[in-house]
Amino acid sequence: MLAELINPYYLQVLSFILINIILGVSIYITLSTGQLSLGHAGFMGIGAYASAILTLDYHMPLVVGIVVGAILAGIVGLCIGIPTLRLQGVYLAIATLGFGEVIRVLFINLEGLTKGAVGISSIPHIGRELVKGLQDFGFKASMIGLKNNQLISLSVFLLLLIITLLIIAFFIRQTNSRVGRAFAAIKMDERAAEAMGVNITYYKVLAFAQGAMVAGFAGALFAHVTAYISPADFSYHRAVEILIFAIFGGSEVIWGPIFGAAFLTAMPEILREVNEYRYMIYGVLLVVMMAFRPQGLIDTQMIYKLKQRRKKKGVS
Amino acid sequence: MVLEVRGITKRFGGIQALTDVTFQVGKGEVFGLIGPNGAGKTTMFNIITSMFPPTMGEVIFMGKKLTGLKPHEVTEAGVCRTFQNIRLFPEMTVLENVTVGQHCRTKSGVWSSVFRTGAQKQEEKSIREKALELLRLVGLEELQDTFADNLAYGQQRRLEIARALASDPKLLLLDEPAAGMNESETKDLFDLIQNIKKLGITVLLIEHDMPLVMRICDRLIVLNFGKEIAQGTPEEIKNNPEVIEAYLGREEEEDLA
Ligand SMILES: Nc1ncnc2c1ncn2[C@@H]1O[C@H](COP(=O)(O)OP(=O)(O)O)[C@@H](O)[C@H]1O
Ligand SMILES: [Mg+2]
Repeated sequence: MLAELINPYYLQVLSFILINIILGVSIYITLSTGQLSLGHAGFMGIGAYASAILTLDYHMPLVVGIVVGAILAGIVGLCIGIPTLRLQGVYLAIATLGFGEVIRVLFINLEGLTKGAVGISSIPHIGRELVKGLQDFGFKASMIGLKNNQLISLSVFLLLLIITLLIIAFFIRQTNSRVGRAFAAIKMDERAAEAMGVNITYYKVLAFAQGAMVAGFAGALFAHVTAYISPADFSYHRAVEILIFAIFGGSEVIWGPIFGAAFLTAMPEILREVNEYRYMIYGVLLVVMMAFRPQGLIDTQMIYKLKQRRKKKGVS
Repeated sequence: MVLEVRGITKRFGGIQALTDVTFQVGKGEVFGLIGPNGAGKTTMFNIITSMFPPTMGEVIFMGKKLTGLKPHEVTEAGVCRTFQNIRLFPEMTVLENVTVGQHCRTKSGVWSSVFRTGAQKQEEKSIREKALELLRLVGLEELQDTFADNLAYGQQRRLEIARALASDPKLLLLDEPAAGMNESETKDLFDLIQNIKKLGITVLLIEHDMPLVMRICDRLIVLNFGKEIAQGTPEEIKNNPEVIEAYLGREEEEDLA
């Protein structure tokens, strides 16, 4: 029964949806202080390459590779976030876009480390490592009536699901706190925020580094799910795609980019023909959203109304 | 002295917005800053709160030099302001706006917020209680869940005062708080400023509503084209011929026109 339901292909699609949701959260964090970044593909790439190299060339455990990859991306985010503090809106977008391109060119040119444009293959796979671990404990796929590759896909999916939920919970709590209110104040009116005692430098750099770190984390997971990465995975297309998650879904509340990422990743899988026109559709989406609903599909008002309705029901 | 403004000069390119302005404000005073539009009053507020630096001069607050600090450090030191062109956080509720005002008096960071430590929960509770108390003071308690954007003009002005008070200021700067208010709202504002004064907070007030200014201020300074033309009690100001000519007189002419 279970064995027939578990299709490795669909599980893989779901896994990519989860990774994109994490990327959506990463852009949401940066945007929640009003900073528009097109550098998230670069941060993602740093996490991916760092973890791939550490696990493959230096035989580090996956956990170490992924954590170091994320932290490294966060540190680079810190180094980019500080000098670009004074840049607003589109100027920041251009600067971070330039940063992303520099990173991609570095991936191509540092051949000794990154294998250049060809990319890195045979990166240790999370699922296989997990299943190997389970086998060491004497647990086999056949014990629950699954084939080995089914168990691999299932374990990847479940692990990513848990990680994604934890990340979402983390940032929901942060948003509903003193830190989140400082972020929101800066986004709405930077000058007023600092006049009210908010250290805008600290919180803007914090948000930028957090966003970079989460993107790097997603990149590291991506490397160990596909087992193959190349500079093309972290090009400007990826940066725009991540931003589209937030523009389409909305960036006012965390559910916006989560929905955007899930919907836009699932769509091409459901409608095969769509995939070919993907970037064209992104372009049209951008224009349409900017014209008719610049705040994205899901906004504060919508969440507010839902909450009010729930409150009313609770009372009556 | 709570506030000492020493020889402040400010130039914007060719515009001389302030020229060598000096005044002192004592503890618990309501000190008025008046003068026609463009006189440099708001510029003085921006310099006191370090929104930008003066070209010359310095600002001392309770013995501490404010000039050169970042705006949030000025707020931390105990000086907070409202804005002439209201600058609330429009997509936050009334209550949330006031909680942001408490930012520099609270501590919770990322980790305590994510793990909801006991101290963080306690702090959130006290932030909320204090915000509600301030909303009660300015008469906006009923509207706590309304988005700031949806408030009427006079309510927005009062919310700005509550938000500024949330930072526990020793010195409160009010930039034209009565602008756009009707008569009964202005009367409420008068009572509010009196109450703020009773809390021991020193107030620096920019206002065009002369009857209000004359009734509520202990002392005032009159600026014209960035220069001081008079300083003193409301009685002294009212009878100062230069003031009557430069400011009060012209106001009457405008009224006639
Ligand atoms: N940021 C600024 N840049 C350039 N000029 C400014 C700036 N702020 C104020 N000014 C100029 O300084 C003068 C004083 O303005 P302001 O302080 O706003 O006057 P008031 O508040 O008394 O009406 C005006 O001529 C105004 O145009
Ligand atoms: Mg002004």
